[in-house]
Amino acid sequence: MDVARSRTAPPEDPALRARFERDVLPLLPNLYGAALRMTRNPQDAEDLVQEAYLRAYRGFGGFEEGTNLRAWMYRILTNTFINAYRKRQREPLTVQDDEIEDWYLYDRLGGSGVESSAETEVLDRIPDEDVQAALEALPENFRMVVLLADVEGFSYKEIAEILDIPIGTVMSRLHRGRKALQKALWETVRERGLVTD
Amino acid sequence: MDLSPTDCEHVLRQIELYLDGELVGVERVEIERHLGECSPCHGHSEFQRKLKEMLRAKCGCHEVPAEFAERIRSLFGSASPGPPP
Repeated sequence: MDVARSRTAPPEDPALRARFERDVLPLLPNLYGAALRMTRNPQDAEDLVQEAYLRAYRGFGGFEEGTNLRAWMYRILTNTFINAYRKRQREPLTVQDDEIEDWYLYDRLGGSGVESSAETEVLDRIPDEDVQAALEALPENFRMVVLLADVEGFSYKEIAEILDIPIGTVMSRLHRGRKALQKALWETVRERGLVTD
Repeated sequence: MDLSPTDCEHVLRQIELYLDGELVGVERVEIERHLGECSPCHGHSEFQRKLKEMLRAKCGCHEVPAEFAERIRSLFGSASPGPPP
């Protein structure tokens, strides 16, 4: 996908433009949500999404119909973010590297393995904003894979293609990112008083 | 069937792949069988499934500001003259 070269070729074909409207414009709520999690603020999210749409619009003639349009669009969004916005952002501190340790939020919440819904009920009580903040606080490498896997539902293979990294890297970042996210959520439930220590 | 801790450790390592739909064939069947027999692992699995659902629900597609949605439509909808070069 050569986004740069395609910038010079907006789709003149009315059928192509109609297909863009039919297939790509409806992705807006998902793309905007993902952009919010990437940029962490609404104005940058709008700029990012608009720039990604512009690149997609100009490159749409080169998109092969029948292939994975969602993944194609998220790849453009991701590349646009990495190239244009990331440099401006202050990155959160790297999470502690504790890959060996087995740490599960479920255990902290008192999971006993018996039929119990208490642990999952705690999850429901965490305010949306706190969950979003926990995700946004992850270092970018982890945040992107968790976003693409858990929020957007992409497969490992699709994520590898979107981010241009090996599948093994997708898996390790996902594992570590989820663990870091669970630790952040644990802090949140404690601060909110949703559990007693 | 006896469940050894090794089985549980193996299952807990595989649970993310299982929930992500990345396990197929025998591997998937073995995990499912274990989850059917082992209550602690089943609890772990259900919790992580719920966590994924929660993330999707709370961080997923977002209400787009009306003005911005209109701008995107006017720039890239088929009725528009297209964005400026």
